Amino acid sequence: MDSTMLLTIYVLMWPVIVGGTLFMICKGFLRDWVEARREGRSII
Amino acid sequence: MTPEAEFYQLSGWTVILLLVLFYGGTLLMSTLIGKKKENADGYMTAGNKVGFGISAASMTATWIWASSMYASATSGYTYGISGPIHYGLWGALMILFIYPFGKRIRKVAPKAHTLAEVMHARHGRSSQLMLAGSNVVGSLISLTSNFIAGGALIALLSPFSFSQGIIVIAAGVLLYTLWSGFRASVMTDFAQVVAMLGAVVVIIPVVFFSAGGPDMFAQGAANLTPQQSNFFSSDAFLNQGAPYIAAVLAYAIGNQTIAQRLFAVREDLIKKTFVTATIGYGATIIGIGMLGVMALYLGISPSGGDTNNLIPQMASTYLGPILLGVFLIMIIGALSSTADSDLAALSSIMMADVYGQNIAKGKANPKTMLMVGRITMIVATAAALYFASGQMNILDLLVFVGALWGALVFPVIASFYWGKVTNKAFTVSVLAALAVFIPVRFEWFPMDGATGIVFDVVSVVGIGVVLGLMSFGFFGLKAARIIGALGALVAAPFAIGFLHDYTVLTGSLVAYAVSTVICFAMSVRSRQDFDFDLIKQRIGDYDTDSETDPELDATAAGTAASGTGK
Repeated sequence: MDSTMLLTIYVLMWPVIVGGTLFMICKGFLRDWVEARREGRSII
Repeated sequence: MTPEAEFYQLSGWTVILLLVLFYGGTLLMSTLIGKKKENADGYMTAGNKVGFGISAASMTATWIWASSMYASATSGYTYGISGPIHYGLWGALMILFIYPFGKRIRKVAPKAHTLAEVMHARHGRSSQLMLAGSNVVGSLISLTSNFIAGGALIALLSPFSFSQGIIVIAAGVLLYTLWSGFRASVMTDFAQVVAMLGAVVVIIPVVFFSAGGPDMFAQGAANLTPQQSNFFSSDAFLNQGAPYIAAVLAYAIGNQTIAQRLFAVREDLIKKTFVTATIGYGATIIGIGMLGVMALYLGISPSGGDTNNLIPQMASTYLGPILLGVFLIMIIGALSSTADSDLAALSSIMMADVYGQNIAKGKANPKTMLMVGRITMIVATAAALYFASGQMNILDLLVFVGALWGALVFPVIASFYWGKVTNKAFTVSVLAALAVFIPVRFEWFPMDGATGIVFDVVSVVGIGVVLGLMSFGFFGLKAARIIGALGALVAAPFAIGFLHDYTVLTGSLVAYAVSTVICFAMSVRSRQDFDFDLIKQRIGDYDTDSETDPELDATAAGTAASGTGK
């Protein structure tokens, strides 16, 4: 793999990781929200 | 590319609409969770049982501030391809390395509101006030810095002035944080993290391809020096990475915004939350730093010679009006989430450490506490506006605060594990470390000859201390001793005779070394053997009118009804 391709991957991998983390956080938030509603309390 | 790029500006109405949407949305969220009668403990820690989604979002949003985005891009522009790593990675590890200690802190002080409050319960007033004082200065600096970043951005990308910008941002943040405090801060952090991280996912690839895609690396390679194009650049490591590694524990220990979230998250979710925030912060900040790397390859000169303009300049050059609006929201989200956390941190320090423990002394009135918290937010906002309006370079103060935090790391951590550490050892070691740090950091004397060698040797001890403390959290005392000793031995031949040329790094390492050696020497022969169970008894809820954990309240029975106290 040439250096141009490596640098491209190096630059573009970060938004992909950020996207994955954002998905995890949103999933967690949804779970918190559903749990709070089920228990009849405020999410925070 | 012209050296002094003209910035594309959004129209005044567009900016007003975006700001109304952003601050109106956060205010609405804050109103939805607001209670007519807020609970004083909830105002500081949201009841100690926040779930994973909100706490991970909040840790990530709080740690990402506008300055870290700008600094990462500056690092990429200055040091080349490894620059953003040497900024973002170590900043991310600040979150990761604190969580093992966080678990211990929560175990001994499950109902605490601030770290300084725990130091009061463990040692007494001088230790508490040193930590609380440094927290107050640190948060005020952060608040001011965020207002400045917001004002500057609005002035660059809209027809509005810097002063109008800082006033709108200060008012927006204060408005949604004032009533519910920390609860509003963490709740709105979720929306802010979605805006920020979502924007990063879109903006980096768009700028990359608009700027020429992979071809920019082939065509712009000549713009980089050999050090800038080397992923293992020693320049980047020694000037950017190494001082940051030394600061990893210091900033995590010294920052009340982290401690507050540590006390807020459900205890079994600490690890998951902190690991997620580490990845979220690291990838976001390193990713944004890539804008600086791209600018370097493209041969772009920062407007006005100010590298803080690099990110807005790249956005203005390569994003269309819609994405430029998204970019504006990303930065406003980053600075607002940190600013609201700073307000919440400042208010809890004033509520718990100043009013609760030093004024009311065990007879704290929850209503008065809430009033103290809200007045603190208003005064802090006014003070930060005052500093920001003069564009005072108060970031220089961060050097002192950072040093104080570095000096505090060993005494604070040791105080949670080792019963022999006394208040006197804590206080003397921190002050002594500061007294040595200042002349070293500001080069008050020449570092040539034997003096330089002596400080190199002390710095090597500091390297051992930093590595030992980092290992201790994860692997325990035996491994920490081995790793610390080995680290110092391996570093010695490279560091002695050389390290004193890097005064920022030397100053930090000396602060670690001096405070550790003195705190250890003064404690090792002490006859004190502190009973850590006392902390639980000394720190409880201030406001027992609403829902609390009966098990913990039973433990804190002696003090819970009327506040904390020894």
